[in-house]
Amino acid sequence: MIGIYVHIPFCESKCIYCAFASFVRDENFQDRYFEYLNKEIKNCNFPDREVASIYFGGGTPSCVSEKQIVKTLQTIKSAFHVLPEAEITIECNPCSASLEKLKAYHSAGFNRVSFGVQSLNDKMLKFLGRRHTKAQALAAIENAKRAGFDNISADLLLGLPKGDIQNDAKILLRSGVKHISAYMLQIEDGTRLKGMVERGEIKLPDDDAVVKKYQKLTDFLQKNGFLQYEISNFALKGFKSKHNYAYWTGQAYLGFGLGAHSFDGGFVRWANADNFEDYFLGKQNKEVLSSSQRDEEVIMLGLRCDAGFRLDALNASISEKPIFKKYVQDNILKVQDGIIRLNSKYYNVSNSIILHLID
Amino acid sequence: MKNIRNFCIIAHIDHGKSTLADRLMEQTGSVASRDMQSQLLDSMELEREKGITIKLTPTRMNYTFNGEQYILNLIDTPGHVDFTYEVSRSLAACEGAILIVDASQGVEAQTLANAYLALDAGLEIVPVINKIDLPSARVEEVKKEIEDVVGLPADDAPCISAKEGTNINQVLQKIVTDFPPPKGDDKAPLKCLVFDSFYDNFKGAVCLIRVFDGVIKAGDNILFMQTGRKYEVTEVGIFNPKMQQTKSLSAGEVGYVCASIKSVADVHVGDTITHEERPTLTPLPGYKVVQPVVYCGVFCVDGSKYNELKEALLKLKLNDASLQFSPEVSQALGFGFRCGFLGLLHLEIITERLEREFNLDIITTAPSVSYKVLKTNGEELEISNPASLPSPVEIDKIFEPIVKASIFTPPAYVGSVMQLCQDKRGEYKNMVYLDANRVRLEYSLPLGEIIYDFFDKLKSLTKGYASFDYEMDGFAPSKLVKLDILLNGEKCDALSLIVHEDSAYARGRAITEKLKTIIPRQLFEVPIQAAIGNKIIARETISALRKDVLAKCYGGDITRKRKLLEKQKEGKKRMRQIGSVEIPSEAFLSILKLDDDK
Repeated sequence: MIGIYVHIPFCESKCIYCAFASFVRDENFQDRYFEYLNKEIKNCNFPDREVASIYFGGGTPSCVSEKQIVKTLQTIKSAFHVLPEAEITIECNPCSASLEKLKAYHSAGFNRVSFGVQSLNDKMLKFLGRRHTKAQALAAIENAKRAGFDNISADLLLGLPKGDIQNDAKILLRSGVKHISAYMLQIEDGTRLKGMVERGEIKLPDDDAVVKKYQKLTDFLQKNGFLQYEISNFALKGFKSKHNYAYWTGQAYLGFGLGAHSFDGGFVRWANADNFEDYFLGKQNKEVLSSSQRDEEVIMLGLRCDAGFRLDALNASISEKPIFKKYVQDNILKVQDGIIRLNSKYYNVSNSIILHLID
Repeated sequence: MKNIRNFCIIAHIDHGKSTLADRLMEQTGSVASRDMQSQLLDSMELEREKGITIKLTPTRMNYTFNGEQYILNLIDTPGHVDFTYEVSRSLAACEGAILIVDASQGVEAQTLANAYLALDAGLEIVPVINKIDLPSARVEEVKKEIEDVVGLPADDAPCISAKEGTNINQVLQKIVTDFPPPKGDDKAPLKCLVFDSFYDNFKGAVCLIRVFDGVIKAGDNILFMQTGRKYEVTEVGIFNPKMQQTKSLSAGEVGYVCASIKSVADVHVGDTITHEERPTLTPLPGYKVVQPVVYCGVFCVDGSKYNELKEALLKLKLNDASLQFSPEVSQALGFGFRCGFLGLLHLEIITERLEREFNLDIITTAPSVSYKVLKTNGEELEISNPASLPSPVEIDKIFEPIVKASIFTPPAYVGSVMQLCQDKRGEYKNMVYLDANRVRLEYSLPLGEIIYDFFDKLKSLTKGYASFDYEMDGFAPSKLVKLDILLNGEKCDALSLIVHEDSAYARGRAITEKLKTIIPRQLFEVPIQAAIGNKIIARETISALRKDVLAKCYGGDITRKRKLLEKQKEGKKRMRQIGSVEIPSEAFLSILKLDDDK
């Protein structure tokens, strides 16, 4: 079983914090892109054809013509065997996802929609360079429900200078959202945000304040029946994202489109070029992992989420390492039936713990 | 012999000593212009970079003046207080000294200190004013400074530009006319001064010598009068500037002697070489056994490189008899060596050479001096590693090394220099006004107080005008305590210091504050404590790490994440584990730099 990721690298505008492969391009260019993208999917000869999840991400998939999206999904369906219970997600921007578009997605087979809400504070949305407002975000969720979607997710950003993320979550829960991703705002290289922070034009809250908010949000969501199944992801029972789980648990996945990443489920990872010119030439980067690199990944990914990792999945055992024993003793790591999980209380410092374990 | 001139060049740092040496060699044809590598004498890369000369390299030049052939032997000298003894032995090999003064900067601290050293050695001094090509050159004023401050006539001092090669010939003429020829008797029993040595892979230890009386040649049986060692001479020669074998070296000459000596440690600078069969009655005066004055622990950041560190130290020792080391085990830093040095500069040079020439990543612990400890059970110990000091209840008395320090300063800074000496627990001995511009202060100071930052502070207080010299003056009892640093309740042996009781509290506070800024936050709260015995005297707390999350894992780009993790893993190699606390290697030296931040 595999997952499929499709990258739609287009946006109506670039947000200040975004470091992803996304560009503002006209329709002609987009058509050319989709033509190549569909060809790429058709030509793929990866041996495993059973698809358990599909994810259209970006960029902003909802900002391009819904016809292209539907056609691409159909291409996948005819090239692969998409399981009937497969999770098929599309990422949407609240202002470009009209009722018509959402209806078209739903009838084409999409069964999960993920909205980039980020905040319900209009000032903050404007500051981030988002094109929608709180009202539009809530309207988009209503439209998704009317279009037939039940599995609706919303992204929120932690660490903004203003706004009340817990209150935002409360409103979203009331609106019927079943899944929330709460990411900590990162200052990435090459973003406008980085320049603003460096020039002192904007001051972001410090780590302690961000973590406090993160922990309060976690408590709130858990009280409301949301399970924290990964550092940044929360879901009601039955609504965990299967696609993301595939990344964290070492399943194979294929990425199509600009800069998309793939993994064969063993030791090989490859990625498409992240500029259009090379992408259209079919250029890829391939990497064969050493067994110790693969172990690092298993630990790094497993400890991010409630799946954990199996001790016997590692090529080199870590169970005799003093630091491992100490973490188990201190209840930082939990051991159950040969599976190691990170105590969720330590998600906020997971990187340090992972670093010690792979050392 | 009357046509030989043995001389050295002395100067304040950066006044152009090495450049002038290069020009003299060039003008006398000792080395062809096109082969000139700038500053030929400062051969070691590190020396060239720091602009200081550590190792002495003599050279012989031929010069014709008024139709007569002269042999000029230039003996270079290191210019740092760590190497005062070596300088004094080099000076003892000469009859004259060229004192270079920068035409724009004028007389400076080391100008004076070096001039006094040369006068003490009974040398004839010829002042030379250098860098006259600079727009800021003030030749007449500088001449007056030399006369007023140093007390040397400077009326007919050559005014040169070593950089551009201007008036170099005047310097050569002065060497011939002003410096006396060596005195000595070829027929008398052999008497040679060893003023330096170095190691040659084929010849073994090579002794640099000045012959005072007699003749030395290959096949001679010689005796080192101070060490009592005996050898057969295999080769003698001169520096041209490369080693060139000669039949013999006679009274007045400067050159080298090889005698199948295994290590430079067997050759003591200042020793007298004589013939075994017909020895001289009295050895040359001024001999001292050089002992390390500063000790510190040297460890590899990567603990598995212990053997490489050992090899490197052995190689350095081949050419540096004053370097001492013995194995040391630290709980915090693992296996390493306790090393002894002549001073802080020597320490710095050795550790830098370990890093550069041997590609080792080094951690050094705080420098310490050697203390004498009398235990309550009557046992006597010598301690150069604070970690090995017994607990306070076992100690009856501690004695610390004392130095007799003399400081030359312009009168305007006397107040601040006295304050500094007092802060460093100095005991005032004497003050002499040498002239309108110079005061000599004499203090008795604990060596442990001056190895940290005394020299730096003295320089900054006096705008670089003070010069400072010291000699060891025995041991004195003192109220010293061991200051331990505890991280999360565990003692970190590599951070222990021996300090005076009165400054322990302030030091403890300063160190804990400093460590708080250097040690990164950990998964748990980390108390940093300073303690004397069981008594905690200062405490800071590093709060627990709150946030350390790798960015969101988008679109399955695991590679980027793993690479980020691997980079962080690489950075972690520079961390040391003390119990459950990780501390960066910089922490071990940072406690020395407490004062810089204030």
